[in-house]
Amino acid sequence: MPAPVNTDLLQGRWFDGQSSRARPVMVSLRPTPQGPSLVLHPLSQPGAEPVMFAWKDVGWPEAWNEHKPQPRVVVDLRDHGSVEIDAVSDWRAALAAAGERPGLAQRMQTRWPVLLGVTAAAVIGLTLFYRYGTPWAATQLTRFVPLGWETSVAENVLQQMDDGTLKPSKLPKERQEQLKARFDALVQQTPTTMHRYPDYRPPLSLEFRSGMGANAFALPGGKVVMTDGIVKAAADKGLPDDALVGVLAHEIGHVVYRHTTRMVVEQGVLNMGLGLALGDVSAVVSTGASVLTGLAYSRSHEREADCYAIALMNHTALPTAPMGKLLLAIAHDEEEEENKKKEQEKAGQDKTAAPKADPGASSPERARQRKTAEEMASHPVWSLLSSHPDTVARASELEKGHAPHCTKN
Amino acid sequence: MSQVSSDRDSAAGPMSTFMPQNIDAHPMEFTGSGGEYFRVWIVNVLLSIVTLGIYTPWARRRTAQYFYSHTLVAGSPLEFTAQQRKMVMGFVLLMLITLAYNIAANTGQDAAVGVLLLTGAVLSPLIWGSAMRFRLGVTRWRGLRLQFTAHWKEVYLASWPLFALALVWFGVFFGMQILSPELADVLQEVEDEAANPKMPSFTPAMGALLLLGLVLTVLCFIRLEYNYKSLLVLKAQVGAEKGRWKPVYMDFVKVWLATVAVFVLTVVGFSVLIGVLAGSSIALFAGQSSRMGLWMILVIIVSIIAGIFMLILASAPARAYREARMFQLMWNNIGVSHVARFKCHLKSGSYVGLRVKNMLLTLLTLGLYRPFARVSEYRMKCESVTLHVKGGVEQVAGAMVRQQQGGLGDALADAAGLDLIG
Repeated sequence: MPAPVNTDLLQGRWFDGQSSRARPVMVSLRPTPQGPSLVLHPLSQPGAEPVMFAWKDVGWPEAWNEHKPQPRVVVDLRDHGSVEIDAVSDWRAALAAAGERPGLAQRMQTRWPVLLGVTAAAVIGLTLFYRYGTPWAATQLTRFVPLGWETSVAENVLQQMDDGTLKPSKLPKERQEQLKARFDALVQQTPTTMHRYPDYRPPLSLEFRSGMGANAFALPGGKVVMTDGIVKAAADKGLPDDALVGVLAHEIGHVVYRHTTRMVVEQGVLNMGLGLALGDVSAVVSTGASVLTGLAYSRSHEREADCYAIALMNHTALPTAPMGKLLLAIAHDEEEEENKKKEQEKAGQDKTAAPKADPGASSPERARQRKTAEEMASHPVWSLLSSHPDTVARASELEKGHAPHCTKN
Repeated sequence: MSQVSSDRDSAAGPMSTFMPQNIDAHPMEFTGSGGEYFRVWIVNVLLSIVTLGIYTPWARRRTAQYFYSHTLVAGSPLEFTAQQRKMVMGFVLLMLITLAYNIAANTGQDAAVGVLLLTGAVLSPLIWGSAMRFRLGVTRWRGLRLQFTAHWKEVYLASWPLFALALVWFGVFFGMQILSPELADVLQEVEDEAANPKMPSFTPAMGALLLLGLVLTVLCFIRLEYNYKSLLVLKAQVGAEKGRWKPVYMDFVKVWLATVAVFVLTVVGFSVLIGVLAGSSIALFAGQSSRMGLWMILVIIVSIIAGIFMLILASAPARAYREARMFQLMWNNIGVSHVARFKCHLKSGSYVGLRVKNMLLTLLTLGLYRPFARVSEYRMKCESVTLHVKGGVEQVAGAMVRQQQGGLGDALADAAGLDLIG
């Protein structure tokens, strides 16, 4: 059998899979449309026919290093055993001559420009995906989540919080009724054009609790909870009820935009995607990346809810400035309080942190993050570590009644 | 080379046929390098990022192939022959299970979560078995596939310590209730309402029972490790040649005891060091107690985090020591029927040193040093082993194994933290 043209014969040892005995063979490569095919010429039995292996029937070993090839390469012939070849450089040259098309991984492995190119693409792609892709996908996926699921999650979460840090409200009945009436009026006046999910009609209701400082939060499925602390804070500052209505509008924004459900989806994508992609680097890097991105999503949800509040208040001809003042006042109060009784405060807040971290409750007035809001905001690193946008900027936007990022509404 | 394991020949009867003549010694070689593997690794990381993690099974295959193809056993590289398609299928299946679990856990479906966890626990021996079957089945040397031939029944029988463990804790729980009826009341109260339960008195009998439970737990774990390792070697096959296994249970217990001693020593050493450092820093802070309130909390939080970190750090030498001792125990005492014996000259001290150095560098570089660490540890272990073959490496006849194992076992093993390399 003559050797095929334009390929060299390489010496090899063939192991047939039946025993560990090596048989001397010559190996040659033939170009075919699919890629090189391998021809095995046995030397041990004279006159034996050469055996041909198509491209897809061979496990082709990857080239790891172009300049310093490994001492020996093994070619996988599947059920026909394997071939060991010592002349690795000649083998690679023969492969190239026979028209091998190396995969992306191998090209990245052996060529610096490809590696750098993919690195750049990865950075850009990752940024785009986590900046726009995941939030968009979460928005779309949320369309398929039934209201019933949200309601049952909300019930669980509220039950847990009631058992933990929340106490029944001490506000007088009349005051509660008064605020509930304002809330219901606000809900009544909500224009349907402001809804991203046209068929999503959760029953919106307002409840009161005490504990957790001056706070308000929305549960998925339409329940909005206000603490006695925030009602008292507004009264202490002499702010009109419009401030509280503004806060309620913000919470309604969380509900109608289904932020909690979206956050569950987003966090799931983050944990799984970043965990898989960066888990092999280190847990610190992958967890850090997923926490930072999660916080960025949380901030964008807050902005969205603020925009909703501004739009709704404008629509109902109510002022947003009192709400801005209330935000600043609470942040200011907390800072002072912090300075006064740091120790007890810290212990109490650490306890509240657990239920708050629950994905079931998107609490916009997270006291913890705002303790030194003014200082924090000025530093870009701190703002990355916050679940809420900078309080001062938020408050000034609310006082003006419009924000640059709310172009859509 | 001729004085191979003469001490062990006298100990083990059947090994008297292991004649000193025509025995060849083949030190294992690793021809890879840290820099080269860094490139393999960074390519895997990048492609995993670009594909949102879907590249994982390809990355696993490349990693295995890099290490296998650079490991020379008697001059012939190992081959990792897993079919990519099967690894991908296993990975997809695992992701679906994970997704189902996450959805169940996130939506508070406790029953579904419980069923999934219980199923996982009951199936864990099966998972281990299929992972080992996959791992050996895709490893080929000189054209011969390794095989793991244990029947699933044998795997479950070897897993008895797992079920004994459940019994032990069941016993401890009920023993506690008998010894202290108030405790049972408190538990009941906790279940009913979280209204401030009064702590029951803790009697020495209860302490003894708890201690007994802990000791039995550790013994069960050692037994489980022993059972699995011996099953793996005894039921492993190269061609038609079966694995040989010599260690006894007490060997494993001794390794554990030595490990505990190393751990205690490092902890004592660490505590002395920290005591000295903390003492001086407290003295430093004592002067300025006026603005201490907030700082004190910060110091406490930092010291808790540092404490956990220190525990990981302090246990590192002990863990590395255990790994080295286990490696020596295994590779000095196993063989392939009457054909081959292994000898291992790994030095525990230098392995511990290497591991600690690698851990510190990995921490400092936020994980970027990991590929270098992996290669250096693999190299040290690999090159410490010498293969002694009687009658040449050409004689092993193979039973033809055609079927390839599915990749789910591997994907599950990966999720459970069993590494393909090592």
